[in-house]
Amino acid sequence: MTQVTQEAAAASQPFVMDTVFWTATTIFVLAYAVIVSEKVHKTVVALFGAALMLVLKILEQYEAFHVEELGVDWNVIFLLIGMMTIINLMRPTGFFEYIAIKSAKAGKGDPMRIMTIFALVTAVLSALLDNVTTVLLLAPVTLLIADALEVDPVPFLIVEALASNIGGTATLIGDPPNIMIASKAKLDFMDFIYNLTPVVIVLMVVLLVVVKIVFGKKLKTREELKERIMQMNEKEAIKDPLMLKKSLFVLGLVLVGFVFHGTLHLQPATVALFGAGLLLLLSGTHDPHHYLAEVEWPTIFFFIGLFILVGGVVKVGLIKLMSMKMLDLTQGNLFATSMIVMWFSAIASAIVDNIPYVATMNPLIIDMAKQMWPQEAGLALLRHPDLMPVWWSLALGACLGGNGSPIGASANVIVVGMAERAGKKISFMRFVAYGFPIMLLTVFISMIYVWLRYYVLKF
Amino acid sequence: MKAKDVMEPITETLSPETTLKEAVNRMKVARRGEGWTGVKGMIVLDDGKLAGIVSIKDILRAIIPSYMRLTELGEFTWDGMLEEMTKKVAGKKVGEVMTRDVITVSEDAPLMECADLMVKHSLQRLPVLDKDKRVVGMVYIRDLYQAIVQALLDKEGE
Repeated sequence: MTQVTQEAAAASQPFVMDTVFWTATTIFVLAYAVIVSEKVHKTVVALFGAALMLVLKILEQYEAFHVEELGVDWNVIFLLIGMMTIINLMRPTGFFEYIAIKSAKAGKGDPMRIMTIFALVTAVLSALLDNVTTVLLLAPVTLLIADALEVDPVPFLIVEALASNIGGTATLIGDPPNIMIASKAKLDFMDFIYNLTPVVIVLMVVLLVVVKIVFGKKLKTREELKERIMQMNEKEAIKDPLMLKKSLFVLGLVLVGFVFHGTLHLQPATVALFGAGLLLLLSGTHDPHHYLAEVEWPTIFFFIGLFILVGGVVKVGLIKLMSMKMLDLTQGNLFATSMIVMWFSAIASAIVDNIPYVATMNPLIIDMAKQMWPQEAGLALLRHPDLMPVWWSLALGACLGGNGSPIGASANVIVVGMAERAGKKISFMRFVAYGFPIMLLTVFISMIYVWLRYYVLKF
Repeated sequence: MKAKDVMEPITETLSPETTLKEAVNRMKVARRGEGWTGVKGMIVLDDGKLAGIVSIKDILRAIIPSYMRLTELGEFTWDGMLEEMTKKVAGKKVGEVMTRDVITVSEDAPLMECADLMVKHSLQRLPVLDKDKRVVGMVYIRDLYQAIVQALLDKEGE
């Protein structure tokens, strides 16, 4: 059998609940259970589970590596690697410290103003780069500023994590769920800007208003402490002005590339890899090892493992079975589907990592679409007008759900970890006390947005 | 020569439960040989067994906020910050700040081994253990320097 007919056979195969089905399902469920339990590192679990799928021939290696519907989504992988490499080259220039100190000074040393500006900066950087890098670079400066002003850094750090998850929702590259959804549903950068950025702006305004109400009165400092901030010279943060110029040039080029990638028919991964390659070249480095080694390989391999794990259960029909159950539940009502997907995604992403969740939901939604519109295929199916709100609901739910608990998103995990190392432990419940209400509020607003925009006003 | 030939006796030790404030005071007044007052490092014993070692670097490490280590923020500190942070950690226990993986040598370790370890791990002092793993002395980097001086002078004498 040629690969093409094999592929076609795999896609049209009516599934049977045989030994292969149950083996694949068992591997998948066990792997997810161990990932949730955190007894073994998630990357190890995903890779071992993936290896089992291959060794047991549930999925052929060819399918895992080369079949779009079943295997590793290389577009996601190389988009992440490309962006991470660009950021690794940019970090030593001191650009992020510069932005942070500049922001603190723009706030004139006033804690409330600084919190607001930091939240905005975090949201914008999270939308354009990624959440993890943003908080990883801003949190240390936040701790320093809080020490200088002699205020509790914990509210600042939590607000930053929340802002980073909300901001990341705005764009294709902002948050891993969006990257994965974009790749599967063949959505481009501007689709996200048109459909998600407007609601994210509303959500950020709401967040800032809530922050103002909650902390407005409590956050006070003394005049002489503000002086400590004002006398900092942000220019000293810039370690390598030439490299900074090169980095900003390439980053600008990459962002322009993202804006036009749909029109230019370039995949987002192509744009990111081009940026990484160009910046490596411009940097004149003779030791690319360092910058490449700093790529978060555990995350990359986590994705690779997950794609293969999910590919296994897609092939045996488990995902199709689940999508049929979902159709039974919603009776083909797409508004109900959107709402269920959004709320279920939010709750699920608050409790577990949203990456494996979205990796599973993507094929499930595609399977559901295949059953609803059997005559459609390809782009007409993936981007069926009635399906679009479901994709947006998945993105909004999965990204915003991350705010619900300290383990809901990587940004939260980093913030909690840094606070703890600085001797300011953020308990699980303290994070939930801030994060969960914000999650409910933002998902509720998103729900109204999706309903109004796609089901009432229909534009 | 071997470690035991150049090592100096241990006169004072710390316990993991000692506070940093007390430890600093003890290090300040400790006597080391004739006419020396003040040491820059001290071993920490727990139940008579070597639990760790505290040096001025360990104390500095405890004082410097963790976020400073994560990024290049040195330029954005302020006058008085070190003193402020020092007061914050004064009550910390020696057990929390000491270096736990102490690099040690046996009594019969050749001086070359001592020199190699000190350079490889940028150390100033090496606790010397006997067969029962009890600390019996300390080799300081200046003890090695003394040995070098002697070796050179001997050669000149020939």
